[in-house]
Amino acid sequence: MGNMNVPAGVDYSEARQHELRKTRVVMVDGNLTANTETSEGGSSARVFNRGYWGFASVPDMDDAAAARVAKKAAENAQTMCRFGDQPRIEMPTEFHVGEYGYNGRPPMSQKETMDLLAELNGYCKKEFPQLKSASFILAQENHEKRIANSFGSQGLSTINRAAFYILFSAEDKNGRPVELMEAVSGRGNLADLDLSVESLAPRLQELHQHLQAKRVAVPAKGGKKTVIIAPPLAGMLAHEAMGHPCEADLVLGGAVTGKLVGQPIASELVTMVDLAHSYNGEELMIPVYVDDEGTVAKDVTLIEKGILKQFMSSRETAAKLGIEPTGNARAYTFNDEPLVRMRNTAILPGTSKLEDMIADVEDGYYLLRTGNGQADSTTEFMFGIDLAYEIKNGKLGSAITDTTVSGTAINMLKTVDAVSDDMYWECNGYCGKKQPMVVSLGGPALRAQVHIGGE
Amino acid sequence: MAVDLERLAEDALAALKAAGFEHAQVSASVSELDELNINHNEPSLLRSTEDHSLSLMGIIDGRKASTALTDLSEDAIAQGVASLLDRARLAPQDDANAVSENQQGHFEQGPATPDGDLMAARVSELLEFRKRETPKMQIEEGGASHRFSKGILLTTGGTRLTRAIGCYSLSVMGTAIDGDRSSSFNYTGGITNDLSQGHASTLFGIGDMLRETERQIETSSFDGNFKGDIILAPTAVGDLLGWLMGQLQDMALISDNSIYRDKVGEMIASQLLKLKSRFDAPGHAAYTADGFVTPPLTLVDRGRLTCLIPGLYGSRKTGIEHRPTTSGWVVEPGKTPKSELIAGIDKGAMVNRLSMGSPGANGDFSGVIKNSFKIEGGSLGAALTETMIAGNMADMLMDIVAVSSEHLDLGGENFPWIRINNLSFS
Repeated sequence: MGNMNVPAGVDYSEARQHELRKTRVVMVDGNLTANTETSEGGSSARVFNRGYWGFASVPDMDDAAAARVAKKAAENAQTMCRFGDQPRIEMPTEFHVGEYGYNGRPPMSQKETMDLLAELNGYCKKEFPQLKSASFILAQENHEKRIANSFGSQGLSTINRAAFYILFSAEDKNGRPVELMEAVSGRGNLADLDLSVESLAPRLQELHQHLQAKRVAVPAKGGKKTVIIAPPLAGMLAHEAMGHPCEADLVLGGAVTGKLVGQPIASELVTMVDLAHSYNGEELMIPVYVDDEGTVAKDVTLIEKGILKQFMSSRETAAKLGIEPTGNARAYTFNDEPLVRMRNTAILPGTSKLEDMIADVEDGYYLLRTGNGQADSTTEFMFGIDLAYEIKNGKLGSAITDTTVSGTAINMLKTVDAVSDDMYWECNGYCGKKQPMVVSLGGPALRAQVHIGGE
Repeated sequence: MAVDLERLAEDALAALKAAGFEHAQVSASVSELDELNINHNEPSLLRSTEDHSLSLMGIIDGRKASTALTDLSEDAIAQGVASLLDRARLAPQDDANAVSENQQGHFEQGPATPDGDLMAARVSELLEFRKRETPKMQIEEGGASHRFSKGILLTTGGTRLTRAIGCYSLSVMGTAIDGDRSSSFNYTGGITNDLSQGHASTLFGIGDMLRETERQIETSSFDGNFKGDIILAPTAVGDLLGWLMGQLQDMALISDNSIYRDKVGEMIASQLLKLKSRFDAPGHAAYTADGFVTPPLTLVDRGRLTCLIPGLYGSRKTGIEHRPTTSGWVVEPGKTPKSELIAGIDKGAMVNRLSMGSPGANGDFSGVIKNSFKIEGGSLGAALTETMIAGNMADMLMDIVAVSSEHLDLGGENFPWIRINNLSFS
């Protein structure tokens, strides 16, 4: 890597060198359909001057590259002045110096990877002869970023995310395909996950049992229902439905949350946070100590006992809203500009027991897994539900066919009447917002009223 | 763009062969992007990026691995080749692994350099249109961009494919706000070789989207559950066709999960549906990542499935005929005016966006219709609150009852409005 070149003589500037390495291996029924490693790296600079931004990047990391992007970014900011004067913004000037590396296990070798996949494929064939198909995906990505800015920040940050996906399919009673996926994810590389067949066996058995239940699933009864939202789903709900509307750039764009600070928007059982790097003294899956603008990353309490409290911000959005920068400005690759992004977003645990929460439901659904979710700046949300069961008189009943739940988070969260005392984290997906981003989601189980799709 | 792509690719292919690979593929590319961004109704950022990449794939003794890197130094490439060989040797042997043979072509279209004044003029037009015509609309993000990329793909089988593709894009995403009330967010955009044609608001339905989103601040809902009909707007047609495409490609075919596995030659959709390729769409080069030229294809011809579309590996693995395809699709417009599509519906919705999970191979889905409008008694009415609909993708294809004569061209996709009966509303 060459020296950082932070453009001078402007209102604010930053420079970044960013390397990203990825591994992806896919096995479908014993066939290796992907066996790929990629690496990309480059330099970028961003300049803010007279109310406009300029950004430039090149796929090199030597001194010449740093000088070239610094010059081009400054030129681009100047070019934007063709659109006329903009109000002056006083960027927060705080800075941070620190290096945050990563000490994990040595990566899995190619032989270990191939042996694991072959063993898993053999195990599934032997144990689950009714399966029509079994697929496994191993994926890891490692980011290393050097950051400097014109206020004096100097930093090294690293993000390492590993995920293992299992996809089973079978035929239902009418011969139609039914599928179900399970993911194991965590900080570090694939070697940091416990992926031995012995340790995965209980999860594989459970996944297979759920799939057997889905083969004879019944349609949900559509409408507003009492549901138990399992922890993985609660994390998705936190991220999509309330997290995005609490990003300061969306607030500036008119998200409904902008006028609700200090007001009750959820049951007092609900506290929701976006954590920078640690929880209960443990480092989280996506630890951000310093963001890509050189701001020290701080925890953000979005909702405290039902009251909307804070937003996640970058330097510019913090200046415009008159709030402190929280260290949420993150870029996915070297040629991306930092945007306001979540880090480790979670609803914090309560005091109820999951079994008791289910036992108290007379007629409802237990929502276990989601394939994906989307939300709006109005806090309207939608989640695809891949696995759910009926609850009848406090007991789990039949699995239901794939469905969708929807609602408005600031209404739905007010209906939460129980929060379980457990906590589940995962980091197996990507958040999409102009650029992809690795984030983690956390949550306990919630009991609430939600609209479910069905007959 | 100082990289000599020809030499880089030739040298890399020679290095793969020298390392012992029996079959190999090399792709080398360079690209430049200039992107003029709008944030919160104002021009905000000019972003210029350069990129280059070298992708290597090698097969030895039927065992395959691939890699991609941006460090193009001799040392990095030599290290990449050595690592590739190590990884390939440990991969399982598979007779389906192969590279393309004797594919030749050069694909070139679109402007190679950006016209910064034109991009700025288009952004200014958009912002002035918003301020004048749709002042309640808040543009969260959007803008104009130009991308130019050059690439070369070589294989040990004698394939040599090159491209030089430039294009512009224009897009808008935002929310309409009136006091404490707001719409759901909405967006549109597309790609073109010529950004100078027409006012910016007339491109890719941007003006219509901005006007419609202002009307979505006030919404109403249907009472109760019912079976109704929908019109899928072009912006939602892609969701339906995306599911269909997924069922015809490698993953679904190899895992034997596709419900269309044995349906070639059979009716899988209404005879009103004709889905054909547009592989030479703006921004596209008509060849695949595994090195095959993509001839034009009518995939669904008046409702009949003409073929499955596995890649080379999927074809060799399943024995299904190889039909190379890439992105760019058109649904042929029908003969019914959009107004008649609406007039024929007693109770239902004009669906501009379908927000749902990823429907499984069996096609069952439920999803929220967004940015949509009520249709009652044959008339387009108020905007709908976010409403749930449920059905089955495969059934929806069969239940198409009308296709509009109007269509929306987004560059890569060009779709009409499609009426479908019998969806469950709740």
